Formats: sequence, C-alpha cells, structure tokens
Amino acid sequence: MSADYDVIVIGAGNGGLASAALTAKNGLRTLLVEKHNIPGGSATSFRRGRFEFETSLHELCNVGTAENPGGIYKLFQMLGADVDWATGMDETFRLICPPEGIDVTMPCGIEKFLGALEKEVPGSAPSMVQVFKLAGMCTQALAAMDEPGATMETVEEKFPDFFKYAGHSITEVLDGLGMPKKAQRIITTYWPYLGANADVLDFAIYSRMLAGYVIYGAGMPRYRSHEISLALEKVIRDNGGEIWYNTEITEILVKDGKACGVKIGDREYHAGSVVSSSYPDLVYGSMIDGEEVPERGVKLANSREIGLSFLTVYLGMNKSMEELGIDTYSNFIMPTTDSAQLQQAATGTHDYSGYVIMNCLNKLIPDCTPEGTCQLFFTTLYYGGWDDVTDPEEYRKLKNDTAMKMIRDCEKAMGISILPYIEEIVIAGPPTFARYLNTPEGTPYGYQVTKTDSFIQRQVEEKSEQFIKDLYFVGAASKRGDGYSSAYLSGIDAGKAILARAREKGGLVR
Amino acid sequence: MTESKSVMSDGAFREQLQERRDRIDSASSQARKSFPVNDFARRLHPVRQYMKIGKVTELEPGTKCFRFVPDPARGTDQCAPFLAGQYLDVYITINGMTVSRPYSISSSPKEAEEGFYELTIKYVDDGLVSKYVLDNWKEGDEVELSGPEGSFFYSPLRDARTVVCLAGGSGITPFLSLAQAIVDGYEDFQMILLYGSRSEDHILYKDKFDELEKASDKIKVVHVLSDEEKAGYEHGFITADLIRKYAPSSEYSVFVCGPQQMYRFVDKEIEKLGLQQKFVRHELFGEIHGPAGMEDYPGTDMPEVKITVSIRDTRKTVTGSVNDSVMQTLEKNGISVPASCRSGECGLCRSQLVSGEVYVPKAVDGRRLADLKFGGIHPCVTFPLSDLEIIVPYAK
Repeated sequence: MSADYDVIVIGAGNGGLASAALTAKNGLRTLLVEKHNIPGGSATSFRRGRFEFETSLHELCNVGTAENPGGIYKLFQMLGADVDWATGMDETFRLICPPEGIDVTMPCGIEKFLGALEKEVPGSAPSMVQVFKLAGMCTQALAAMDEPGATMETVEEKFPDFFKYAGHSITEVLDGLGMPKKAQRIITTYWPYLGANADVLDFAIYSRMLAGYVIYGAGMPRYRSHEISLALEKVIRDNGGEIWYNTEITEILVKDGKACGVKIGDREYHAGSVVSSSYPDLVYGSMIDGEEVPERGVKLANSREIGLSFLTVYLGMNKSMEELGIDTYSNFIMPTTDSAQLQQAATGTHDYSGYVIMNCLNKLIPDCTPEGTCQLFFTTLYYGGWDDVTDPEEYRKLKNDTAMKMIRDCEKAMGISILPYIEEIVIAGPPTFARYLNTPEGTPYGYQVTKTDSFIQRQVEEKSEQFIKDLYFVGAASKRGDGYSSAYLSGIDAGKAILARAREKGGLVR
Repeated sequence: MTESKSVMSDGAFREQLQERRDRIDSASSQARKSFPVNDFARRLHPVRQYMKIGKVTELEPGTKCFRFVPDPARGTDQCAPFLAGQYLDVYITINGMTVSRPYSISSSPKEAEEGFYELTIKYVDDGLVSKYVLDNWKEGDEVELSGPEGSFFYSPLRDARTVVCLAGGSGITPFLSLAQAIVDGYEDFQMILLYGSRSEDHILYKDKFDELEKASDKIKVVHVLSDEEKAGYEHGFITADLIRKYAPSSEYSVFVCGPQQMYRFVDKEIEKLGLQQKFVRHELFGEIHGPAGMEDYPGTDMPEVKITVSIRDTRKTVTGSVNDSVMQTLEKNGISVPASCRSGECGLCRSQLVSGEVYVPKAVDGRRLADLKFGGIHPCVTFPLSDLEIIVPYAK
C-alpha cells in the first residue's frame, strides 16, 4: 500500500502541533488536520474591542531565559519555533485565604522562597530545604524515565527512593518531613495546575513542578498563546508539512490492529502513523471500525473519570493594574487552604465553590493592553456537575452569577474595586470549552489524576497500553496529562516514537 | 528524612499500580458515546441550522422579513438559542458557489425557543446576496443558517442600567430583538431608542415598537426623521445634543447599529459626549466596498493583481481588482472562503499571507498580535497592493 503521508496528525492543539513540527522537521511527510479554522486548541487568543485576551494559559513552567534556559525554552529552540518569551517574574504567587487570615506572596528563587516561607511560618525552612532536595532527585528520576528503554527497575537502580515519592501523596511526604501544616498549605498552592488535591497528588510530580516555578519563574508568550501555536505552525509549513484547517476526520483507518490512515469526507488518506489529539473515548466510541476497537483500551478509558472543567472570566479593564491596586500576576483566593476540601466542594456541582484564581497579564507583559488599561483572567474549577445544565437561559444566568461572585470575592480578598471598570467581559463555561476543544465534557485536563491513576503509573504502563500499533495519543489525554508543557512533551514523545519506527522500518516510509 | 521513612512504605507505588490494573479489568467494555456537556454545546453552537422559510413579509419595497423554522427532515429540530443583538449568517449558493452574509436577528430569544427566527433583509446597491435573497426566497424554500454569532448584546456586568440605542435604517433589527427581550423578561435594562429614518413611511416596525413601548416602562422610542418635519417626531440627524436631550443624568451606555455612513457621522457626535469607551458599543461595521475611501489607504499603481491561493491540496491562481477585498476576488472567481462577519472582526476567514503586500484598514483590523508577527490576514478586510500568495482554510 502506498502511503499519502508518513504521518497524519489529528488536531492542532499543543500536542498535535509539537508532534507535527518534530516529524516535519525530520523529513517525514506530515499532514496536520484541524477541525477549527485556527491552530492551538486551548493555546489561542481572542479579541474584544481594544483587548486581545489570553485564552487559557496561566503560566508555562520551565521556560527560563537564553542565559538560563529551562526545558521548554530548549524544546522550542530545538524545533526552531520563534516565540518571544516574557519571563523575569519576581514572585510565584499570592495566596489569600480570608477566613484563615492568610495573605502571602511567595517570591521566585530558592533562597528567597525559603526566606519568605520561614518568615510566614517560623521553623518551616529546614523541611522546605528537604523538599527542594527531593524535588531535584525527582526531576532527575522523571527525566531518566523518559530515556529510551527505561523501566521501573533501571530508574530505581539509579534513584532507589524515587518510587517511594511517586507512591505517596504530597501531604504524606510533607507530614513525614515534619513540615508545619500552614507551610504545607502555602507550598501546595499550585495543585489546581495538576488537577488533584495534595492528599491525592503524588509528591514526585508536584515537587518537580513547584521547583520549576520557583527556579525559573513563569513564562508567557509575548503575544498570547496564539503566538506559540503560530510559531509551531510556521515550523511545520516551512518544513514541507501541510496543515488543513476546517477539516474533520470522520474515521481513523485501522487494519489488523494497526493504524494506517484516516478518512476525510469520502476520501481515504493513507499514512504510516496516525497521531490523535482526540480522546480515546471519542476514538474508540466513534472513529474506529467496531471490529478493530481494542477491548482493553475501552476498559482503560472507562476505568477513569473525565478530568476537571472550568469557568473562566476574561475582563478588559479601563484602568491600569496600578490604578486598580493589583501587583501580583497569580492570585489564588480561597475559602480554605485545605485542598481536599476545596476539591470536594467543587465536585458534582455547577455551583461556584468560592475558589478563584485571578491572573493579571500586565504584570508580566505591561503593554499587553493599551495604556491605562489591563486584562484580568479569572478561573474557577468543577469536578463534573455540569451535565444537568441544559437550559440556555439558566446557563446564561449561571455564567453571569458565577462571574459576579468570582469578581466580588476577588475584590473583597484584595481590597480593590473591579466591577465599575469593566470595559469588556467574556465568560466561558464548560460548554464553551466543549465547543472549542471537543473534549469529553469540555475538560482541558484529560483524565482525572487519582492515587491509582497517576502520571507516573501511566508512564510505567505506557508500553502495555498502546493497543493499536502506529496510533499515538497526544495532549491532555496522553500519559503526561494536562498543561501546556505536558502537551508539548506528549507531542515530542509521539514524534520521537514515529521517527524511531521509521528508522526501524528502514528509513522513511516513502 | 528519618521521619518520612517511618510513614512511607516502600511498596505503595506497586500496590497502587496493581490496583490500577484491577480497576481496568473490572471496567465496562462499552465505549462511552454520549457526553451531556458536549451535546449542550452543540445545541448552543450548531455549525449549520437547516431551516425552511415559514413566512415572507414585505415591510416596504426592497425590505422583507423572512421567518425561518427548523427542518427536522434535514436534521435541525430546534432553533439554537441566542442573545438579543446577535446575528446569523445565511448561506446561499449562486452559480455553484456558496457565500454567506451576516444579518442581525430581528425576532426575540423567546420566539427562537418557540421555534422560529426572523431576519429582516434590505436591498443594498451592490448587494449580490441581498438582491438574490429578495428576488428568490419564498415560503417553503430550504435555507442554511449558521449558529448565532456576534458580541453585540447586553451584559449586566459591563453595561450601564440605561442604554441609549442609536439605530439607522435597517440597523433597527437588533434593537427590535432587544426590546422584545426586555418585554419578555430575557433582558433587564432601560432602553432609550433613537431611531433614524428618512421619513415616516420608511420607519420599519413602527407599530411593533409602539406596542413594545406600551408593554414596558423600560422602553422609550424616539423617531428621528431626516427628510421630513412632522409633529411628534424629531427632525434631522442623531446628534450629540439629541442624545443629551433623551439620555438620563446618570450613567448610560450607547449601542449603535446602522449603515457605514451613519457610523461615520454618529461616531463624531458620540465623541462629543465624552463617554468612557466601555459605554460605547458598535454592531459590525459591514463589508467595505473599495478601499479608496478609507483614510489610511496607501494606494497602488497596479489596477489588477494575481492571487495564488492554496486550499488543502488544491492550488489556483486568479486575477482580481485592487478595489476588491481578497475575499471578494476569490468569491468572484468561484472560490469559497470561510466567512462570517465580513467586517474584519470574527477571524473565521483567517488565512496565511505567504508573499505579497496588502492593505488592511486600521479601523477594521481585527487581527491578533501574533498574526501580525507571522503573516495572518483576514481576507474580508484585506486589499491587495501586489500579487499575492495565500493559504486559505477550507470552507465547510
């Protein structure tokens, strides 16, 4: 069978873009097909009036600078993708919990972070030093897991304690280190970025992320996430890859357990490999011929919960951040610092739980809006609970009411005034995400992380869970889970595997 | 560290791994097929609505109101809900090529729930589509519409409690929808409508607005006649003084919808009011016919240009006038381009400029910043200044 392409990638989200960029750059004939008219999936932007809003990115971990590049910086450099990174933030986050009387801003840099934590919670620094040490070990061990041919045993040989930290929650480890509870609550502020609370999430993954933010600070593309997506689009096209927008795949062709192409309209396009940003639920449920659907693949998907979903509010303000009295980029505002309670309060309901994250991009990119204005981005989260919202008027009211509460909570916690200065407002609920991402229940987060379905477990099981040969899943539903960095890496994983297969088959497929 | 060893068992990870395998073993082997949130999203935002024309009413020569009802036989069994002020794109196929035009919905959100939309379409001079629609569409015809689009609607979190609505000619349609939405309880604000028409005969929906004004003390309608002096009507144009005359002393928003000539006039008047930018909102500017009238047009010596366009795996070169937008040239050559607002705003037609020089009027340049960096263009408001090579997304 002669192939039309070496690789067909379904979906131009972060994972699809990164995989197509890598395969095109390495000479494979690559076709990237996207249902929408622009690339990016979550990584995009939109305009209202004189504002261009960041759609979903809170902060990219591990960017760094040209002098001190982090993993993501190097990845884009390797691909030749031209992204102008804004970095150099001096604080990681501000945590405000009015009922507990906590309002603390944590700085970037290991030494400063330690100092601030010790000041807020005397006696906490020694355990925090241990956390950073362990984070270093976990980061190295996780990198070792990405080496070709790595197994649990080979990693364990080099890092004998690693799986202990992979097998215990953040809370279990921090308790073990004797860290005071208040300090634990402060340093686990980033848990929503991984989607599970500190009693559930394993220490290894969380500590790596925390250290990444403390060491490198956050990174943001200067021209919103649309810039990253277009930089990757350019790499693909400059290397001979094709991108077809407004194009939907109706079927993934699978023969004898091997993916061999896709169907677009009535036409079949054959390829050596297929990369899917669509979730396994959708692929197995409606995109593959019934005979070829792998039973264990379906069981795996069904053994999991769909990840969390979000309601986000985008505000274009007719006052500057200084005039409003905002001086931090990431503001986490919550009714309790107990993350398990927060997750519980947001589970199985579409009622606002009182937990809101507010970002002000102007802190990092002062000229991201016209002089005398700024943009604010509010996020709250839900674990299920939106399947009973089916009345359009109720939905509209719910969106407006929730947005109002989020804004009010933020005003109260920060002692500022926001409402009178709103020039533009857009509210996106889970149905909005479902519309643009086409993910189950509109989650941008893949499958819910639990104690018995952690990122590291998924990685260990990866080889035995590729049920269809030459079909690779990328994006949030892949083993790496949610987040921009994870999605880019998932694309690189798929791209590398496809390149290795091409070499194994004796050069390129053509 | 010694403490941590005491509470952490070495085998936890492997036990969890085994538990994971067991859970997979005992899971259902029937793939999940239905997701309520996604179903709801499709209901709110259908890609296409397959409708039939239920009724045609001629309001005045050259202006008709079309009622559309869902056509279950072709897969549409209800109208997607919308917010008063939004528009629909109508798709028509002329000589085998599909083009679309946006029209504000003149019926109410409640009526959409009850099963119909109405669009009021006026013949415009070089309006290929409006002419076709007015000449050809009749009761019982099958028509394709988009889902509701646009951001010209009321937000209780952003807008003032009173909105002074400025309408010109057929720009009345979104305000008719908004007024009905107020009466129906779907919107809650004070509407003061200043509606400019040439003469009393040219007022669209006069009776309907009289009724709505009676039905709600939140609605006040003032007719402004440019070519006729008559008792009970304001005479002249919608000026800053006229707005001041009817606006409340408290905070108010201004919403504007009308033809381009009206925007040019009214915007200068609004400026005199010194309102904050957040309190002034416009409906779409509309398609630009000829760039020469735009203030910042640099001009070009070439009367004609070649445009090479790639769509998926096809490639074609066509010739067009520099007075036509890239979209207009492609459509004149039988090439469909995805389009919605045709005003530079929505970005649905976003394409890649591979080579060549273009002009985009600053007033309608709705591109994202990264598009400026990487050569993204919106063909609906992009005018060629040289031969071009572009990549255009497929038109569904």
